[in-house]
Amino acid sequence: MDPILLIILIGGGILGFYMAWNIGSNDVANSMATAVGAKAITFRQAVIIAGILNFVGAVFVGSHVTETIRGNIVNPSLIENTLHILLGFFSSLLAASIFVMLSTWKEMPISTTHSVIGALVGFGIIESGISSINWSKLGEVAMSWVLSPLVGAVLAFLVFRGIVKLIFERERPSESARVVGPGIIALTIILIVSSLLMKTNLGRMLNIDIRQAILIAIGCGIAGMILSMLLLRRIRLKGEDEYDAVERMFRKLQIVTSCYVAFSHGANDVANAIGPVAGIFSVATTGVLDPKAEVPVALLALGGLGIAIGCMTWGHKVMRTLGYRITSLTNTRGFSVDFGAATTVLIASKLGLPVSTSHTVVGAVVGVGLARGLDAVDLRVIRKIIVSWLLTVPSSAGLSAIIFLILRCMVG
Amino acid sequence: MDERHFRLPITDTLRRKSPFAGLLEHMNKVRECIDVLKEGLKEYYEGRFDRFSEVAKRVSELEHEADLIKGNIRAHLPRFILMPVDRGQFQWLLREQDAILDHAENLAEMLDMRHTKIPKELKDLFVEHMEKVMETVRAMEEAMERFKVLLETSFATKERDLVKEKIHEVHRKEWEADQIKYKLTREIYRIEKKLKPMDEYHLLKIADWVDDIADHAENVADLIRSMIAR
Repeated sequence: MDPILLIILIGGGILGFYMAWNIGSNDVANSMATAVGAKAITFRQAVIIAGILNFVGAVFVGSHVTETIRGNIVNPSLIENTLHILLGFFSSLLAASIFVMLSTWKEMPISTTHSVIGALVGFGIIESGISSINWSKLGEVAMSWVLSPLVGAVLAFLVFRGIVKLIFERERPSESARVVGPGIIALTIILIVSSLLMKTNLGRMLNIDIRQAILIAIGCGIAGMILSMLLLRRIRLKGEDEYDAVERMFRKLQIVTSCYVAFSHGANDVANAIGPVAGIFSVATTGVLDPKAEVPVALLALGGLGIAIGCMTWGHKVMRTLGYRITSLTNTRGFSVDFGAATTVLIASKLGLPVSTSHTVVGAVVGVGLARGLDAVDLRVIRKIIVSWLLTVPSSAGLSAIIFLILRCMVG
Repeated sequence: MDERHFRLPITDTLRRKSPFAGLLEHMNKVRECIDVLKEGLKEYYEGRFDRFSEVAKRVSELEHEADLIKGNIRAHLPRFILMPVDRGQFQWLLREQDAILDHAENLAEMLDMRHTKIPKELKDLFVEHMEKVMETVRAMEEAMERFKVLLETSFATKERDLVKEKIHEVHRKEWEADQIKYKLTREIYRIEKKLKPMDEYHLLKIADWVDDIADHAENVADLIRSMIAR
């Protein structure tokens, strides 16, 4: 193999792993924040849940978004020189890594997703002009960035209002919670299982068609419902306060939704780290970039592993800090945020849209706030997020363009 | 946060301290202050003035502590904060709750400046009035606690009704306190021939000052009412 090719391949792998590690240490904490903040799980448990379920989500559902990042933003057929494609993906990874590192240092709420997309656009424009960018796909992606926090907010709002109407408004809230809670858990499990089986490698491997997948999902959902009902049965009313009992029940149920969040997060965010690596890999092995070729599972596993390791090495420090910073979140609120954000991110993942999990979680928090569920939501974060939308893509594109130009001069 | 750096927009979003927790903390100072004052007034009405200076000092301390809490709540309540109730009304509520303490402090200081012996025939009415005022504050505290539960359930109807019930109780007690004050004032005028003018003036003022406390407790209840309006 050509030594330059080998260097790019290994270097790309390392950078991809670094990105995955960064996602694991920062973004995972953000998505698990509500569960840790509401004391549904300890930060240690959060690290374990996030590590395992991010990996599962990345490996089994991560391919859709990875394909988008690998081949749908920059049109590879317009770039004749395959070495330039390799260099481009490499520069994009490097630029995104540097940008993410800087923003972490400055504690800016930027999204790894946005920096990766920006970096790809930067290299694409330099290599073969504005026309090489698939603008309609990019528009779709940009649209999803605005829509995902909004959808997260609407879903979290509806779930929380549902909890108020179906539980708090009732004569015996704790009795209603014993039925409503497991019902939402069943829905959660149906969503997770069907996303695992429908249009995925796993589904094809097991030879399951859509009808069977739905049946299996419903079966798992019912099993989960029965299990959670049994789990809730052990919670007895202590003293007088019904509402405390409801919160204690949702503390148990939130363990499931925090798994849901971690799973969806892995499914969406693994692409940020692995998408460009998958591009490099397919050019290096087959000589062309075929957007329709499947992303190797081994690469997704590498990304999933990187996220899990990031979570375990650095993420636990971040999550411990979180536990102290967020104290005013109760379990019914945390549950609504988790469900709203995770469902949005999972749908986006299935549609192949790379969205920001952190921004979606913030959107979901605002949604619960609008449902009059939270004591104080600082809306200034919205301005910060909008600024980061506007800044991240151009700066990361610029950085990637510069790196690409330098590398092209060096290598040829 | 030493040299650890991370991107966590979620922690910026969920502020660390709930303004309502602060409000209840402030209310606990009101409660403590009212309890101290109640014991102090009993001593004063019995003519045991020597111990009253201590009470005035303690009330003043509590008022100061509550001021610090109030300042802290305000400092953590910038614009662009999304609350389940109107932010302006919340600030106003805090101000009215603080006014209870201001009036308690004023009362204690003013009483300590001039020790007026309460005539035997007025003593019972004075005690009755003071107790009714304290009951008004107590009912307001209960309304506030119920209000916190209402927030926990995000405005469930039956909890709203419970808060409203407590608010009615505050109004009723405040009205009763007023009636006792009128009776008390009439009694003071009835025996005015026996009283020295300065004593009479001070007795009338004491009744007013004590009654002020109930008025502000009622204002707090009114603000809770407008905050929970649909």
